[in-house]
Amino acid sequence: MCFPRSASDAAAAVRAARVHGVPYVARGSGTGLAGGATPLDDALVIVTTQMNRVLEVDIDERIAIVEPGVLNLDLSRHTRPQGLHYAPDPSSQQACSIGGNVGTNAGGPHCLSSGVTSAHVLMVEAVLPTGDIAELGSLAPDTPGYDLRGAFVGSEGTMGICTKVAVRLMPNPPLVRTMLLDFMSVEAAGATVSAMIAAGVVPAALEMMDAEITRAVEDFVGAGYPRDAAAVLLCEIDGLIEGVDYQVSEVRRIAQSHGARSVRIAQTEAERQLLWKGRKSAFGAIARIAPDYYLHDAVVPRTKLVQVLESVYAIARAEQLTMMNVFHAGDGNLHPLIVFDSREPGIWERVHEAGSRILHTCIDAGGVLSGEHGVGMEKRDLMPLQFSSDDLAAQGRLVDAFDPDGLANPRKVLPHGWRCGEVQQRGGTIPDDTWI
Amino acid sequence: MNILGLDDDELISCVGCGLCLPHCPTYRVTGLEIASPRGRIAAMRAVETGVAPIDAPFVDAMQECVQCRGCEAACPSGVPFGHLMEDTRAALELNAASRPTALAARVRRGLEWIGYRVVLPNHRVLIALSWLLLVAQRLHLVPKRFGPQRFGPPLLTRSSLMTKLDVSSGALGDAWLFTGCVMDAWQRPTHLAALQVLQATGLRVAVPGRGGDCCGALHEHAGRRAEAQHLARKVMQSMPGDAPIVVDSAGCGAALKQYGRLLGTEAATDFSRRVFDFSEFVVQRGVPATRATGRTVVVQDPCHLRHVQKSHMAVRSLLSDGYELVDTDDDGLCCGAGGAYSVLQPDLSREIAMRKSAALRAAGADRPGVLVCSANPGCAMQLTQAGFSVQHPAELLRDALKEGPR
Ligand SMILES: Cc1cc2nc3c(=O)[nH]c(=O)nc-3n(C[C@H](O)[C@H](O)[C@H](O)COP(=O)(O)OP(=O)(O)OC[C@H]3O[C@@H](n4cnc5c(N)ncnc54)[C@H](O)[C@@H]3O)c2cc1C
Ligand code: SF4
Ligand code: SF4
Repeated sequence: MCFPRSASDAAAAVRAARVHGVPYVARGSGTGLAGGATPLDDALVIVTTQMNRVLEVDIDERIAIVEPGVLNLDLSRHTRPQGLHYAPDPSSQQACSIGGNVGTNAGGPHCLSSGVTSAHVLMVEAVLPTGDIAELGSLAPDTPGYDLRGAFVGSEGTMGICTKVAVRLMPNPPLVRTMLLDFMSVEAAGATVSAMIAAGVVPAALEMMDAEITRAVEDFVGAGYPRDAAAVLLCEIDGLIEGVDYQVSEVRRIAQSHGARSVRIAQTEAERQLLWKGRKSAFGAIARIAPDYYLHDAVVPRTKLVQVLESVYAIARAEQLTMMNVFHAGDGNLHPLIVFDSREPGIWERVHEAGSRILHTCIDAGGVLSGEHGVGMEKRDLMPLQFSSDDLAAQGRLVDAFDPDGLANPRKVLPHGWRCGEVQQRGGTIPDDTWI
Repeated sequence: MNILGLDDDELISCVGCGLCLPHCPTYRVTGLEIASPRGRIAAMRAVETGVAPIDAPFVDAMQECVQCRGCEAACPSGVPFGHLMEDTRAALELNAASRPTALAARVRRGLEWIGYRVVLPNHRVLIALSWLLLVAQRLHLVPKRFGPQRFGPPLLTRSSLMTKLDVSSGALGDAWLFTGCVMDAWQRPTHLAALQVLQATGLRVAVPGRGGDCCGALHEHAGRRAEAQHLARKVMQSMPGDAPIVVDSAGCGAALKQYGRLLGTEAATDFSRRVFDFSEFVVQRGVPATRATGRTVVVQDPCHLRHVQKSHMAVRSLLSDGYELVDTDDDGLCCGAGGAYSVLQPDLSREIAMRKSAALRAAGADRPGVLVCSANPGCAMQLTQAGFSVQHPAELLRDALKEGPR
């Protein structure tokens, strides 16, 4: 493990690893949900927690230049006095690092209206696997030439280690209204989401939680989430006063016509913060139900939301597993969550079986494997479900171009066999867990 | 295997989400996983299940924890970190393997023994030593700590040690004011203020009788459980009856509120129910009329008030009529005082305090005339040494009373 304090420290670590043929993995806060930062093959872990300075804030250009270890929420806190914030807000935002966000191209509730990490990263300074320090992208809004920055964002540490990031800052909206909609069935909540999108309402964020997760969250925050609801939607509208009022009334009308039991609007900033704290604690709060969880992160077309949800619950029932759903409803990013106690014999098999059936269902419905958490180790072997051999080979060549030695976070993202030299390097054996 | 004797369900309740990390002062200043709650729990698990030995790095990782319990309040899974850490420390204290062998370490342990066994529980010894320290400070025998910010023992004053609390001890009144060990020796004017406010609300107040000298919090935090239990029993005896017990030290209050778990008896649980933090109690009783002083106060939430007792909002209700209150923007991150932590882990404590100082300055606490309020003696000392003008909520309220103290 090493803790660089500067790009040249990190470059020295990468060069040393290269000389000795040792693989290495970048790590931020370790909140990743796909095993991306888990070291395999005794890899050197390069931790960015001590590179945690906000280097520059340009208020006029609305740009911040930060080191990768800066925590997401700390950046928005830092710029709050200037009325600016960093928009991508993963639910883990209080704990995850900007470097990790770049690594996974993280999304978050408010990415519905403002786009995911990649849309907010202007420039990345990275230590490439060759040990050189390069700047990808620039502060200009549209850099000429190939978008290497775009390739790097979301590369999960397989193309090098980001050591500096220039991000866009957004002005805080003049008015924000957060609504809590309470439903007697998951279907009604799902149908409301589809109807809102169809009616052209564009919330800043639109999140859904089902019954069990809502209760677990309420136990933690005490924000007044209805304990007996089958599903709740948390909907945030922001913008100028007139527009906000209109959209709020539209949301209320649509929700009520789909049978919402109640529509609550947060009256104070504290109330609003507490509602969000609940939503953002959801993954953690499930330990109140069972000690382990297995989380998926598929995206499905919003029109198929209700249908996919029904299948997902049916799969869980068939495997006799407890299933919960908490997700970014507005962009169809499902997070089906199976909770269990790993001390129970034979449980892992059922969890994996259910997981794989759920992903098949989502992909069959026209969805994709991962919405925001990345592929890492967890979804690596499922990549062929979505990509053809040609796709995988092309992706392999792209990574190879950045990392010819295959030492940067190896055995992540792409399944075995698509990287140049991979077969020879590992003596031609195929690891047990490989998807063929 | 059950090497540390931890509760299995408590131990596995951590799902490793990392949401506690930013609320952990030692993680914030080091960036090390092993100095984080998640890392500490993982280490406990490894030792508990026999995967890793109890070695020096493990012991260090446990001892570097401030026991602020910021992680516990932040944890959506409800991991009872305080229990896990206290139980681990108790197991280490009993485990010979964790005893240091080097001479310096043995001397240090000996000094700790004297502190925990002789000084803290015997109020007269503590007071006598405090006078000695005062004289030594006057004669400049105690070196001032280095650096721009001085940390170390507080500058004692004669008037503090001379302050008299004019109430009966051990006699039944309407309420008890728990006075404690270090606080009574070093910050008695705070007790006086608390007493004056309580009297202003029309109460007859008594202080504990014999034996109620020390709540045992420092002992429990250090894993000296048997001693903590012994002190807890004595404290319970020193305040009989069912009158409420008012505590103006957040750390002691948290400890008294947890006697139920410490002793595991019904009597202890009942006792704990009678315990209130000073602000919590006065707000429940009704805050006496105050005048607007026009002064600004930055509120510092002691960890054991905010994360353990969860009664930090009462401080704001108490003072909002009299003062312009400002909060820091750090989710109540620890100041690093941590009971005996500032003495036992001076380097980490200092770094954590610097971080806290920055948060206080960002809230304007260093501006002329601005006060900082802290409801815990340890934090107050730490922040005073960092250069802030610190007062206890009881003192601030007393100074803003319309009627003035009787
Ligand atoms: C409760 C909870 C809620 C979450 N909610 C969301 C959500 O709403 N949206 C979402 O997208 N994710 C979410 N996540 C997942 C996770 O927080 C994100 O993936 C986050 O971006 C990871 O950041 P990190 O600093 O913890 O990175 P890590 O976990 O340390 O690393 C993640 C990946 O990025 C790579 N990486 C880390 N630092 C660098 C660097 N400097 N350069 C290059 N690569 C690097 C690592 O190698 C690894 O592959 C959630 C997680 C939790 C626990
Ligand atoms: S202690 Fe709680 S918040 Fe911290 S990692 Fe474990 S479950 Fe998450
Ligand atoms: S008690 Fe405080 S110092 Fe200890 S792990 Fe928790 S947050 Fe960190």
